[in-house]
Amino acid sequence: MKIANQPVKIFTSVAMALMLSACSSAPDIEANAEPPTVAMPDVKKEDTLIGRYSDPFEGFNRRMYYFNAKADEYVILPVVSGYKAITPDFVETGVSNFFSNLGEIPTFVNSLLQFKFGVAAETLGRFAVNSTVGVAGLFDIATPIGLDEQDEDFGQTLGYWGVGPGPYLVLPLLGPSSLRDTSGLIIDSAVHQATVNELGLKDEEALLLDTLRAIDTRANVPFRYFESESAFEYEKIKLLYMKFREIQIER
Amino acid sequence: MRLFLGLVVLTFLLGCSSTKESDVVTVEKAVCDIPYSTYQATVTGYCQEVRADLTEELPTTIKNIELKPVEQIPEVFWFSKKMEYTLNKQDGPAPLVFAIAGTGASHEASKMLSLQKTLYAQGYHVISISSPTFSNYIINATTHEDMTGDLAKDAKTLYKTMQKVYAQVQEEDNVEATSFSLTGYSLGGAHSAFISFLDETEKKFNFEKVVLVNPPVSLYNSVQVLDGYLDLVGDREAALDMVESIFDRFAEQYAVQESSKFTQDSIYSMFQGVDLREEELKLLIGASFRMSSTDMMFAIDASYNIGGFIYKNHEISKFESLTHSMHRADEITFTDYFDRHLLPWTIKLEPELTRDEMIARLSLKNLEDYLSKSDKISVVTNADDLILIDGEIDYLREVFGDRAKIFERGGHCGNMDRKSFVEYMNTQFTGEKS
Repeated sequence: MKIANQPVKIFTSVAMALMLSACSSAPDIEANAEPPTVAMPDVKKEDTLIGRYSDPFEGFNRRMYYFNAKADEYVILPVVSGYKAITPDFVETGVSNFFSNLGEIPTFVNSLLQFKFGVAAETLGRFAVNSTVGVAGLFDIATPIGLDEQDEDFGQTLGYWGVGPGPYLVLPLLGPSSLRDTSGLIIDSAVHQATVNELGLKDEEALLLDTLRAIDTRANVPFRYFESESAFEYEKIKLLYMKFREIQIER
Repeated sequence: MRLFLGLVVLTFLLGCSSTKESDVVTVEKAVCDIPYSTYQATVTGYCQEVRADLTEELPTTIKNIELKPVEQIPEVFWFSKKMEYTLNKQDGPAPLVFAIAGTGASHEASKMLSLQKTLYAQGYHVISISSPTFSNYIINATTHEDMTGDLAKDAKTLYKTMQKVYAQVQEEDNVEATSFSLTGYSLGGAHSAFISFLDETEKKFNFEKVVLVNPPVSLYNSVQVLDGYLDLVGDREAALDMVESIFDRFAEQYAVQESSKFTQDSIYSMFQGVDLREEELKLLIGASFRMSSTDMMFAIDASYNIGGFIYKNHEISKFESLTHSMHRADEITFTDYFDRHLLPWTIKLEPELTRDEMIARLSLKNLEDYLSKSDKISVVTNADDLILIDGEIDYLREVFGDRAKIFERGGHCGNMDRKSFVEYMNTQFTGEKS
């Protein structure tokens, strides 16, 4: 793996090392157990898609995946559906638009960092139009007039400059990520925080805003843990995440 | 398993296309411009035909029912402790249709959703049951004796399950059925035929109407076709290269599209740009089928301590890595399942049984007399359905006569949400009689 932003890397490495080292996902085989009758195919692990994405933290990741599924079921989804039930649709859309609009700022910064000036200009245009005519971002006026929504984050910026994804990582509550994208997330959160600070909110207002943002984010992800009912959902999601990030970075 | 990639990405793209209504600012094009082939229609849907105007209003309850004591559910399936199904309930008493999903598909698969909307709009209560090849069903509803894939035995457990489910919705949701009908697509179509046959003697439902949608004629022939689309044993390298190439081209297309968002239209135009060749489309279909059969086999393996991809006599913990099982399953086809498991399993119970007899059992031909005489049963499929081999379309015409509706195009189940298909279904399920 190429070297990412050094301080971020050190920070995440230390944090991760503390959490990850204790867990294992190796089977604890009983004395009378018999090996599977179907042999492993005779291929090098690196030559299979799943072996290609390293998962040294699998033990931690699987536990975190389980935790996230439970948290989703018992806390997050009930909150999201409560929010949807009490909020009129146009308010939900307004809230979504508002946070999308705030999200234009990290997209703008990251497209500049990748020298994608066209994307940066379009994003800046969107932000300008939606923040003014769109009443502080509550309405998305930009899309109908041909300013398309773009999506860039610091993980993609790192990828653009050749930083590999590093090991797969499942983050508490946030879900699938990689070491690179987690570093990126920390930077993007800092940018977001700086934006929120500009709004001059009190602590509890900022907390409310963050909560609403989290609910809105979850409400817009059409994913339910284990809806696939597949025993291999963990592997499939890992593949999906890693490949999708590659597609995004190619863009 | 590296080949899951294509499908995984594809599923994701299609899954993400469900934008909220408020997000849709441009009117979608009625049809797509992708060149037609049966493989294309099977993968993207028969988008060259106009979509049916299906209701958006579909009162849906995801229900679950406990069919086995919780202790019998393997820990690795901790998320699957009850059998799930979908109920779409009409306000008052109404006729009821049971719908059975296709291979590896759940009660809420997208094709099931099309059926639900179609039938609900015709005034039916709809109860959707997952395929007996779907993990959640296998873990909860099957028994040690009835090995998945043996159509007559699958029908027996489905029949029992349907009765329990109906009893539950009567009690919990006050569903009142004035009559019963049955439908299913793909493997679920074949199951419907066997269930209907069973019902003639059991008479629990006395089905008024039974419609088989894109059923296999011979299950064995159909799985041979689908297994053949993904040949990992013969040429792994070629298959992998093809997947990489498909993937790279999707990434290129995504890079040039204007917005970073996915919409139905942008996905169609990505497909158009990627311009998949026939072998590539086959590969995607084969990979999807392999993924389904792998999930199926793993669920059987874990439920009945078979020891195929997993350690026999070993309780898999919920945090344990299953990656080794996925690697092992990589090259195992549905045909392997038939030869290495289903057949020996059945021969243990019936030592006289031959392989050819077993193959013949898993076929509509086994019910030929019944199907040719039963006016309430009809079949709808496409002349280019890729799971049918030469002569099987003619066979359906012969057996069902004017109860066979054969569309010229649509691939395998590619047209279930298209205008002419839904119009046909509306002539079959009129919802008037009770």
